[in-house]
Amino acid sequence: MNGGRRAGRQSCGAAVLCVACAIGVRGAAPHAKKATCATCHPAQARPQPATGMGIGMELPPDQRLLREHPKLTLEANGYRYRIESAHGKSTYTVSDGSGELTLPVRYAFGVQSETFVLEYGGRFYESLVSYYHPLKGLGITLGDEGLRPRSLVEAIGRQTSDQEIAACFDCHGTGGVKQGKLALDSLQPGVTCEHCHAGAGKHMQAIAAGKAAAFPRKLGTMAAEEMSNFCGQCHRTWETVVSLGLFGEKNVRFQPYRLANSRCFLGDDRRIRCTACHDPHTELVRDDASYDRACLSCHDLKGAAPVGAGAATPKACPAGDRDCVSCHMPKVRMPAGQAIFTDHQIRVVHAGDPYPN
Amino acid sequence: MRVLFVTVLLSTIAAVGGKAASFDELAEKAAAARRANQIPEAIAFYRQAVELRALWAEGWWFLGTLSYASFQYADCQDAFDKFVKLDDKRPLAWTLLGLCEFETGAYDRALDHLRRGLAGEDLAPDVEPVARFHYGLLLSRAGNFDQGRRELERYARGAAREPMLVEGLGLNALHERWLPNEIPAERRALIEKAGIATSHWILGETDRAESGFQELLQEYPTAAGVHYLYGFYLSSTRPGQAMAELRRELELDPANADAAAMLALLLMHTEDTAKALRLAEAAATEQPSDALAEYACGEVLAETGDARTAIAYLEAAERLDPAVLQYRMALAGAYSQTGRYEDARRERKLSMEMAARAHAGD
Repeated sequence: MNGGRRAGRQSCGAAVLCVACAIGVRGAAPHAKKATCATCHPAQARPQPATGMGIGMELPPDQRLLREHPKLTLEANGYRYRIESAHGKSTYTVSDGSGELTLPVRYAFGVQSETFVLEYGGRFYESLVSYYHPLKGLGITLGDEGLRPRSLVEAIGRQTSDQEIAACFDCHGTGGVKQGKLALDSLQPGVTCEHCHAGAGKHMQAIAAGKAAAFPRKLGTMAAEEMSNFCGQCHRTWETVVSLGLFGEKNVRFQPYRLANSRCFLGDDRRIRCTACHDPHTELVRDDASYDRACLSCHDLKGAAPVGAGAATPKACPAGDRDCVSCHMPKVRMPAGQAIFTDHQIRVVHAGDPYPN
Repeated sequence: MRVLFVTVLLSTIAAVGGKAASFDELAEKAAAARRANQIPEAIAFYRQAVELRALWAEGWWFLGTLSYASFQYADCQDAFDKFVKLDDKRPLAWTLLGLCEFETGAYDRALDHLRRGLAGEDLAPDVEPVARFHYGLLLSRAGNFDQGRRELERYARGAAREPMLVEGLGLNALHERWLPNEIPAERRALIEKAGIATSHWILGETDRAESGFQELLQEYPTAAGVHYLYGFYLSSTRPGQAMAELRRELELDPANADAAAMLALLLMHTEDTAKALRLAEAAATEQPSDALAEYACGEVLAETGDARTAIAYLEAAERLDPAVLQYRMALAGAYSQTGRYEDARRERKLSMEMAARAHAGD
């Protein structure tokens, strides 16, 4: 199968981990286990569902975060916001002192921090307030700080276009979008194997039935540029960020964009691709020192690390050889403190430097 | 009558004092007449002065501006033609020269000169919109429909009041290489309908745009360009329907390279890359001067993993239409994939500058 920026992701109504069929490769055993991706790929498929990406979103009655915080309030822009949870159901209420609007919270996007997608009048809205883990409470949704609602309906949040909301569900869930249109009846929360490994379901079914199987593309063959565009389908590609003019500190959360701006981003080199540092099948590692190995794969003090043709020789850091990211990938706190992101624009940082776009 | 008046005036002025006026006298009289808003007199004096001193740039300048203000486009053209040979650094001169050439029918020169004038800075605010509109018409006439659209769509809001704007938008939308005064009578209604629907589209009036396009399709189901236009309109929101419209366009007009290119890009997103590549290559071969066709070919090749071959097409697209951000970003990506790091950085830097300018004030 040819390479391609968008290879590996198909809208699919069969994005399931379990297949109810007997293993027929060497004759079906009377009590054959049901095949899943984890049957053959346990290292990847077992931990993945519990990761942030694997969870992706919470649907009732499994909205754990809202269950743990059954009453959340915030006053902003002259409106009062209240998110309440009880008996497996959550509601989002906005009031202006003289009236109020209450909507069910069906879709909570995210894991540690959550933004809510609400429905009103046949349209979808991105909630104006979100739960942010660093705040341990509600804050204005990132990107919506400039909104000044003039009515209760506007105060719900930002109305989304059909395309945008389809993209939201497509990244935070599986099976909820078919041919560009919402198909929420078949929505499963979270990024499943099929999401990235297009054809995984058919592959598994074929193997389980003892038939010759087509193999999904080996994503490990991608170099940095291609993988940046692949992961950027959800984490925002360099092109998406630039064409939308998303400049300023808020673009720190778009890692493919930030990484591509790094001086050391060599598009045909695998050592700077997303998976050089991150295993998408396991939870994000927050120990900064663990990333040193990736940095030193190029910036080897012994100077023996070859890089792509035409690239400058990577320098060894004169200040140290450990905890590289603590200096070269600073943490950026959002202005209202809602979130802290690691800036993936790798660089030499000087005190007082402005945020580089 | 005007010519007779000017001749008499010239004779009178020349005979002042019974001797031929000196250059300095003529220049002074010309300036005085200009300041007193005595346009015909000023024109006459300037004309005499430049006959005595052909290298007097200021004289040609004022002769040009005064002639333009008097709708004497041939004289204006001549004056600015002389002026720019003496001073080629004044954007307004090139712009007015281009506008006069538009009026006298020297369209190819008008296009070049308006381009040159508009590339400069600080054009007078009352001149720039006129210049850009005419530039947009000429770009469309020359087949540069994307560039033409970008100029014309600035004025979509005025289309409701100005027939020439409607016609300009319609001609561009249907890829017709006419100027408004060249539209054949039997095509005028179609062009106007297309212009009105397009103006609604540009202004984000989706209900009106949709009903406008539906009317167009019902009344002109086999007219070249109509299905392409509607397909273009649908491409970002209803790609499936857009593809059907573009296919219909290609049945009616197989040589429509933009329709083929757009269909190729949409097919690429459905992962039918083999078909997309065939279409894109055919479009680029058919119309190598079509930036969108070159871009589509480059994009599809990059998508299939052949970034090296893609580069030539993407470079061609950028060369043909350097103002399209998408072409430049795609080229940066192809450079990055093929190890041309400095080229990638350059294009990314330029892309970000373009995007920052486009989004300034958001």
